[in-house]
Amino acid sequence: SVPPDPSLPAGPGAALALLSLLVRAAAPPAMCPPGDSGCRFLSVVDLFDRVIRHSGRIHSLSTELEKYLPPRNNELGRPARKCHTATMLTPNGKEYAQKIPREELAYLILKLLQAWKEPLSHFNQHIENLQELPGESLSKAKQISNMVHELETGVEKVTEKMQSMGIISNSLHGMASSEAAGLSISNEANMMSDSDFIHCFRRDSNKVQSYLKILKCRIMPENSC
Amino acid sequence: MDLRHLLFTLALVCANDSLSASDDLLQWPQISKCRSPELETFSCYWTDGNLTTSGTIQLLYMKRNDEDWKECPDYITAGENSCYFNTSYTSIWIPYCVKLANKDEVFDEKCFSVDEIVLPDPPVHLNWTLLNTSQTGIHGDIQVRWDPPPTADVQKGWITLEYELQYKEVNETKWKELEPRLSTVVPLYSLKMGRDYEVRVRSRQRTSEKFGEFSEILYVSFTQAGIEFVHCAEEIEFPWFLVVVFGVCGLAITAILILLSKQPRLKMLIFPPVPVPKIKGIDPDLLKKGKLDEVNSILASHDNYKTQLYNDDLWVEFIELDIDDSDEKNRVSDTDRLLSDDRLKSHSCLGAKDDDSGRASCCEPDIPETDFSASDTCDAISDIDQFKKVTEKEGDLLCLHRKDDDEALRSLANTDTQQPHTSTQSESRESWPPFAENTDSASPSVQTQLSNQNSLTNTDFYAQVSDITPAGSVVLSPGQKSKVGRAQCEGCTEQNFNMDNAYFCEADVKKCIAVISQEEDEPRVQEQSCNEDTYFTTESLTTTGISLGASMAETPSMEMPVPDYTSIHIVHSPQGLVLNATALPVPEKEFNMSCGYVSTDQLNKIMP
Repeated sequence: SVPPDPSLPAGPGAALALLSLLVRAAAPPAMCPPGDSGCRFLSVVDLFDRVIRHSGRIHSLSTELEKYLPPRNNELGRPARKCHTATMLTPNGKEYAQKIPREELAYLILKLLQAWKEPLSHFNQHIENLQELPGESLSKAKQISNMVHELETGVEKVTEKMQSMGIISNSLHGMASSEAAGLSISNEANMMSDSDFIHCFRRDSNKVQSYLKILKCRIMPENSC
Repeated sequence: MDLRHLLFTLALVCANDSLSASDDLLQWPQISKCRSPELETFSCYWTDGNLTTSGTIQLLYMKRNDEDWKECPDYITAGENSCYFNTSYTSIWIPYCVKLANKDEVFDEKCFSVDEIVLPDPPVHLNWTLLNTSQTGIHGDIQVRWDPPPTADVQKGWITLEYELQYKEVNETKWKELEPRLSTVVPLYSLKMGRDYEVRVRSRQRTSEKFGEFSEILYVSFTQAGIEFVHCAEEIEFPWFLVVVFGVCGLAITAILILLSKQPRLKMLIFPPVPVPKIKGIDPDLLKKGKLDEVNSILASHDNYKTQLYNDDLWVEFIELDIDDSDEKNRVSDTDRLLSDDRLKSHSCLGAKDDDSGRASCCEPDIPETDFSASDTCDAISDIDQFKKVTEKEGDLLCLHRKDDDEALRSLANTDTQQPHTSTQSESRESWPPFAENTDSASPSVQTQLSNQNSLTNTDFYAQVSDITPAGSVVLSPGQKSKVGRAQCEGCTEQNFNMDNAYFCEADVKKCIAVISQEEDEPRVQEQSCNEDTYFTTESLTTTGISLGASMAETPSMEMPVPDYTSIHIVHSPQGLVLNATALPVPEKEFNMSCGYVSTDQLNKIMP
């Protein structure tokens, strides 16, 4: 299910003006080159909205996919559904998410997404061989995998834009390190069962969505927060 | 008494079972639900049960990373039998397990993650405003707006809520639902301003499926708002009743018009005529119009009938042809058709119309009349009826000949009389005289012939057909020796005929009988010898014109005058007739049944 587009209130006009001033002051303006009609100037707000919508779709798809992979053998009772991303230190509450620096939050989002890229492709190959799954579950899984890639690209772009606009600082963490960190833990994903896998992914997609929303409202509090 | 006793015991047992079951349910404490209204705290509730255990119930929880169970931090805030976890104890996206236990035993256990148990509080501050009213003043649009639940932190984007609005008229029972949406402002269109409405809203987290509780009901009353409106008591509904009435009337009128219309095709299409039993025969119009090929084919197709006629029990089965008429309206014996139409018409059943279904087919005025009378051809087929039909036809034949001033032509297909129908035969003989009487002095020859019946051993009611006019009438030869110019087939008779037999098999006769072709005159026909290859068989008649030569009646060797009559087996065409056999006037003691033909005298001898 696709979440409906949130309508931008009239407020962002002022925020955009402020941002554009900041941008011109701090960095070269991210404008479309003149003459290029296909290029459309996207503000950070727009980018954030798109990214948040994308993550919402991922979460919906994973919720649907989880129905096709019910847990077996009393797994539900166990609190030990070990997700491979459990070792990552992520804020587990609203206050923590608001206290953490924005760069950290953006970095965490990226790290999460990168930690899931590889296991998702493995998972796709794995469930293609499963007989009991209907065809639509396979397409959903493939769609999730593609969307995670797109979301990661989108978050990277937003982060770059924010960094270029000076909203967040260029910290040492950077994206390269997050990628390495993400890849390092992705190998553990192979040990999970299918049901655990999708359950963990669903939870992490919810995390990503919440973090993005928090981040957006922290950066631009006036826009539909 | 035993039954009552049994019933009583059964009732007791059932009561015991139910009581015990309910007792079990009541005793056992259960965690009813765990709920987080805003994704920051959560509470768990349980039911007490009918507990008589020692100690109090405790709720223990354990996070995923913990090693052992911890006790609930707050038993009070959420109310009776509840446990409240505040923000410090709540971790999102981390699996929890809670269990209900006392010191001795564990009653219930549940595991979940806080982000899965979100049930928001209901929205608050519902109000409505009027957007606009219709021009008639009957309907109006309103806008309902509300605030999100205060506990949910939608401002920071921590939780995103969806809202579902439901509304209904005050005196209705069923709520109308709108699609869940994110905005807190919803327009309601086309409400009746004369009625009052109730509105309520509930919310849920966007990623989950369960809704929270409903908000308080908002009453929408236009009268209280002081809005001018037109009170419309009745509502316009689709006039089904009128539609049905007019539809039925239209159909009835259409049907009547079709019935009354003169267009037969249309009428036949919509009101097809009821099929009625048809009598087989040839349409006289067919003969009139001279479609020789068609009639030939029709006549030729009656080979089956030959055997049937021979083998049938009926003493008389008249010429019945299974003709595929073009219109197939009427089938009448071909001999009838041979004879003049006047006679037919005189016996027509024009006077009798639509007496019953069997006769209606004959009596349709728009179909050319082909039958003798209403009584014979339209009757149901039965032995007697057939015979009657036959005899009547005989009579008609006689009558027709009266008009033509010719000798009556009787054509009978004799059938196998091994099982003679005495009654029918007697009837036939009885009916013949009346027919004979019908044929008055105008045909004295017929009388003579009839009188000769008893004397002669030849067949009765045979006449030699000398010619068939294009009009379809049959010209019969007088059959008397005095007539001159008849060729004789002496050789044929001597060779082929069995003298003992008054009748000749058709096979024998074939060689000697010739049917007069339509075009030739009578004298010329007579000149034809019977040795011509104008044999007429049922198969060959159609191909050649056959002329009827003199019958064996001229055989000089016969003692008796050879009758000029031959039984007409089949009328194939206006060109000629198929004659079954000629009769030799030979008195005999026995009759040869080889051909299945028996003369009446033979019959007389047979029967008492």
